[in-house]
Amino acid sequence: MMIPTLEPEFLMGIGVLVTLVLAMIVRRRSNVAYWSGLVFAVAAGVRSFTLHPVTHLAGGMMVVDSYGLVVNVMVIAAVVAGLLLSFDTERYTVEFPALILLAGLGGMIMGLAANFILLFLGLELLSLPLYILAASRRDSLSGEAGLKYLLTGAFSSGVLLFGMALLYGATGTVTFINYTTLHLIPVLMGSGLALVVVGLSYKLAIVPFHMWVPDVYEGSPTPVTTFMAFGTKVAAAAALLRVLAFGFSLTSGVWGLALGYFAVLTMLAGNLLALPQRDLKRLLAWSGVGNAGYVLVGIASHTVSGAQAALFYLLPYGMAIVLAFGVIRVLEGSREGAQLDDLTGLVHRDPWLAAAFSVALLSLAGIPLTAGFFGKFYLIKGALQGDQWGMAIGLVVATLVSLAVYFRPIQYMFRPGEGRSAQWSPGAVVVVAGAALVTLFIGVYPEPLVHYVTQAATFTWLR
Amino acid sequence: MQVFWLVLVPWAGLLGFVFPRTWTKAIALIVSLFDLLLFTTLIGHFGTGVNWNWIPDLGVHFHLATDGLALFLVGLTTVLVPVVVLVSPRVERPAYYFWILVSESAALGVFLAQDLVTFYVFWEVVLIPIFFLLSGWAGDRGRATAMRWLIMNLFGSFFMLIGVVAVGMVHQTETGHLTFQLASLADTAFHGAAGPAIFLAFLVSFMIKAPLWPLHGWMPSAYGDSPPPITALLSGVLSKLGVFGMLRVLVPLFYPQMRAWEPWLMALAAVGLVYGAVIALRGRDVKMTAAYASLSHMAMISLGIFSLTAAGAVGATFYMVAHGLMAGGLFVILGWLERGTGTRELSALSGLNRRLPRLSAWFQLFALATLGLPGLAGFAGEYMIFQGLVRANVTVAAVAGVVLVLASWYMIRLFQGAMQSQPREDVTARDLNWGQVGLIGALGALVVLLGIWPAAITGHVGTLRPAPYHVVALGPKGGSAR
Repeated sequence: MMIPTLEPEFLMGIGVLVTLVLAMIVRRRSNVAYWSGLVFAVAAGVRSFTLHPVTHLAGGMMVVDSYGLVVNVMVIAAVVAGLLLSFDTERYTVEFPALILLAGLGGMIMGLAANFILLFLGLELLSLPLYILAASRRDSLSGEAGLKYLLTGAFSSGVLLFGMALLYGATGTVTFINYTTLHLIPVLMGSGLALVVVGLSYKLAIVPFHMWVPDVYEGSPTPVTTFMAFGTKVAAAAALLRVLAFGFSLTSGVWGLALGYFAVLTMLAGNLLALPQRDLKRLLAWSGVGNAGYVLVGIASHTVSGAQAALFYLLPYGMAIVLAFGVIRVLEGSREGAQLDDLTGLVHRDPWLAAAFSVALLSLAGIPLTAGFFGKFYLIKGALQGDQWGMAIGLVVATLVSLAVYFRPIQYMFRPGEGRSAQWSPGAVVVVAGAALVTLFIGVYPEPLVHYVTQAATFTWLR
Repeated sequence: MQVFWLVLVPWAGLLGFVFPRTWTKAIALIVSLFDLLLFTTLIGHFGTGVNWNWIPDLGVHFHLATDGLALFLVGLTTVLVPVVVLVSPRVERPAYYFWILVSESAALGVFLAQDLVTFYVFWEVVLIPIFFLLSGWAGDRGRATAMRWLIMNLFGSFFMLIGVVAVGMVHQTETGHLTFQLASLADTAFHGAAGPAIFLAFLVSFMIKAPLWPLHGWMPSAYGDSPPPITALLSGVLSKLGVFGMLRVLVPLFYPQMRAWEPWLMALAAVGLVYGAVIALRGRDVKMTAAYASLSHMAMISLGIFSLTAAGAVGATFYMVAHGLMAGGLFVILGWLERGTGTRELSALSGLNRRLPRLSAWFQLFALATLGLPGLAGFAGEYMIFQGLVRANVTVAAVAGVVLVLASWYMIRLFQGAMQSQPREDVTARDLNWGQVGLIGALGALVVLLGIWPAAITGHVGTLRPAPYHVVALGPKGGSAR
């Protein structure tokens, strides 16, 4: 029973091993390791799609429900995007694919975890390869990124672990389902929960636990940043939603309000600080902070619609951010990173790239006919269902600020002048085209995804 | 299905990117004329449309249908867009024509939408093509103008999005049924602070889009710096969206709130009415004078709606169409004037009727129509709005009467200044060619036709009894009307 339900995870695990072995035995310049990583990731993704959800595994440690499977598919999509954008052994190291796959496996486990021990295992499995990947470029920026990520990551893991220990001390259990019957939160348990939320907030980049984000996103190689922006965020948001909406559902009065303030703060701070950025990766990093705030709106509203909206929003956000980083990867060529000025005149040099980037930015700004619009629509519905007008207004104000962020690059692309010319690779073509098409498709016809999400994110004891 | 094609066809402007640049204008013209043809097949067919279950899990429908309110504005749009295309430069980047057509599609979508979410989606899509048009073609300050247009309009729209969702949620709480169909939402009753707050969110968004004083901040630079075809598009078609939204959404859904706030709304619109007229009167720039005249006329239309009388609502609908034709024609003519003489300064123009008799004659026709001469399109609309105003609030009616005098004054001042008195020697402009005369003649014929036969519109706006007329004629849910 257990093996078939966990097939995607086993496929990823085997993929890691095979890819590592291949990396050892084939020639240094061969891309075989990338191909193998890609094949296993795609296979795991397909299997996640076709898998029939089962609720309990391993005595309640794991829940392979449709919620977990959606998270699986999104994390795998991030892995595939990371692999396709880095498809070059000469530039990136030969261990690259195996490490991304391993991080993806960690993210998948976080989506299935129904127990703090497993959640922590997933988190560490996700983070450790990323510390290496962040520092894998041989320059000071990358080294700084790796060190910063490692220090804040280790610190946040410690906080999370401490919170878990307190929770265990207060209740004698680490399994989420056992928390669901608890009404009162004694001080010990409350501080435990607060520390757990803080620990996960680091990974999700919630203000004020976000200071590492811009430097790490800027310094890491672009494919790694792509994975971090989508995969890590999906895994952390999924885990947070599962812990709070599933485990501590009855005590939402304690965490709902606080999280709501954090959500508004994060949305505003992320978008405001994105305003002055001239480096595109930093701009998107701050935008990622702001978007984490949007996701948090759905979680904090603590309604059926809110939980669905939080899960739904991850895909429009992820597709847009993957698309944007894909464009940066095309733009940067053999160098690293791209500035706003590099975009000048892009619409004349490479109209397709300009169009794709515009789609990403419009979706992030929440303009209709792109996926981002329905994401925001859903989130506002979730907030209003919980009578949280303040969060809805905060979301709208933050979105207004973000307009200036997202439309400035568009105007740069239309300016006359000579910027940088694009260097497409086959992998980048797949990522950019795929993400753009998904963004537009969800923007025009979101029903399939909405329908899936309504089933996946409906925890029975949400009101 | 025709209704859906009507909205879809303009996207064929994408073909312009495939073919050589010299063909793009022809392609855009064919596409827009095809849309006009589609509209003519719809004349008289009220109630046809599509109603698809777009997102069942969120209660959202994709619902487009014609009714007495929508059909005439669709006609206005499909007539004006080919004109806009025709007066545009022969060789232009394909994006220019593509964005014009996209804005046509979005405007048609707003006019035809019968579901609040469908309405909202098209409402926001309108902003994007205009953003790009202003950004790329509105001169040196175009980027700032575009940003101002976008941020001001989205400021309204995003709060309106909260309103859209909130209306649906309130309706769901009352009936247990989640829907955004405008026909169903009309029964919603709002309690407590929610009603005024949601109403305000919608109102502000509509006022920005129209634009209405004091939320017209984006207007001067957008109207002033755009090339004439784009100004004609903005003033002729897109300014109607705001006042149309008031009729489509505010009147049926928020009748009690409108009734309660009526003195304030009317005072606001009356100030805008006077403000636009006074600025137009002092204007030294021909185009800006026409732009502020348009601002004043938008206030006039909104007064008709705020009067909450059947005559006012019908008059507002009629005047929307009439104003679209008049303002579109006026800006086209002023564009030719500017291109011919190279200036927009009123002081630099004089005596053009000797040198440019044809242009002068057509300018005169549109100026007279704009000031409301009986027998031309402007008069019938203003008359009906007055009828409503007198019944609702005599003071405001008196103010509007004074503004009509001002309107005659600024239009005649414009005409006299530019066309009459001594001709200047240094102006070397060519008169209209026969193609241009045919184009403006067609618009002029429509202005005359509506002037002598207003029943073409007023006799049919109530067909199917679109909700706004129904509400203002009967009062909400059988309550008292004026």
